[in-house]
Amino acid sequence: MKRIRVLFQLGIVIAAAVTGIRFSLGHSLTSVEKYCPFGGLETAYALFTRQRFTCAAGELNLALFLSLILLTLLARKAFCGWVCPVGALSEWTGKMGKRWLRYPSFDGLWKIPEKTRRVFQVVLRTIVIAAVLAATWTTGELVFRGYDPYYILFSVHGHDVRMWSYIILGALLGIGVIMPMAWCRFLCPLGTALWPVSKIGFLRLRRSENACTGCGACDEACPQSLTIATVPEVRSGECTLCLECTDACPSPGALELFTNGKKP
Amino acid sequence: MRVPTWVLPFLIILCAGIGIGGARLLVMPSVVKNYASPPAGASLATTILVIDGLKCVDTAERAAGQLEGVPGVVSFTAFASRNRAEIVFDSNICTVNDIINAIEGPVYNASTGEFLFGVYRIVEADGVQYAAK
Repeated sequence: MKRIRVLFQLGIVIAAAVTGIRFSLGHSLTSVEKYCPFGGLETAYALFTRQRFTCAAGELNLALFLSLILLTLLARKAFCGWVCPVGALSEWTGKMGKRWLRYPSFDGLWKIPEKTRRVFQVVLRTIVIAAVLAATWTTGELVFRGYDPYYILFSVHGHDVRMWSYIILGALLGIGVIMPMAWCRFLCPLGTALWPVSKIGFLRLRRSENACTGCGACDEACPQSLTIATVPEVRSGECTLCLECTDACPSPGALELFTNGKKP
Repeated sequence: MRVPTWVLPFLIILCAGIGIGGARLLVMPSVVKNYASPPAGASLATTILVIDGLKCVDTAERAAGQLEGVPGVVSFTAFASRNRAEIVFDSNICTVNDIINAIEGPVYNASTGEFLFGVYRIVEADGVQYAAK
């Protein structure tokens, strides 16, 4: 399954890059921003209050956002772990850092206590999503575009991308090496919007206490740095169902995918 | 209930299909502009143009402004996310070429007082590649 997921991620990254290059060369009228589901959330307010889309956001953004909510209800944050090209690049830079700097888990160079990390996550993400939505909804413009790593990376110097956009992108990728998935875990507004839906998601990973040897390989492999080895079920809304933990697990059947419901 | 892991890629492809397919059902114009009412006996026709440069609400409004004052043009409806515009006109008074020339013409920038050239380029007119016409 790991190979299939990498193929998904590679395919999406290549498709986004090709779309961006074709648009920038004038071979296509379709910009990468048309495929961003967050654009659907950004335009939702204007759509309900003024019956019109915000700036360049359109039907595809809205439909993709709605289908993403459906996916999250079914498979939690699978979008982040399987589809999102920024998530893929964050994960790859994190893996690079893990290998080069030889830290044991996706916690990075410094292991932040879980409670502190959660507080940071909630505060930073709330600030980011509130600022982005408030600015977009009041101005009617996609003001976040110049700061959006997806747009900076794949638009090939698109509209609103300035020198400081690349500085921000470089900083995010750099931080991602020493603190893996920093963007996804602490800043991504789409991840924040999906979190409450993911929390009640239908599929989840369960750990069999009988089969588990308690080696902790799952904790080390989890890109989101979730605690898996000591809980009966991964309930965190941050779980992307990337299945890195099941691949890392040496004990067959110790970690498996189940539907949300009473334990058999 | 235990679920096989292949369900995950299946669900992702299914939801992506629902999203992309669903976008076809959600049709909402970015800008609708009505010009002068057509006179009695007008022969109304509609042309559908795919316009390079028509990419957001602002550019759609500006394209609508290009048709202001063009005789015979009745209404302009833009679907910016599809780069598409539907224009209703009186075929007794103007032609599709008049509309194309007006849209592709220089755009007046009120804030600088300058004319901008090449802002809009017609890619397709009524399903036919415009350059090939």
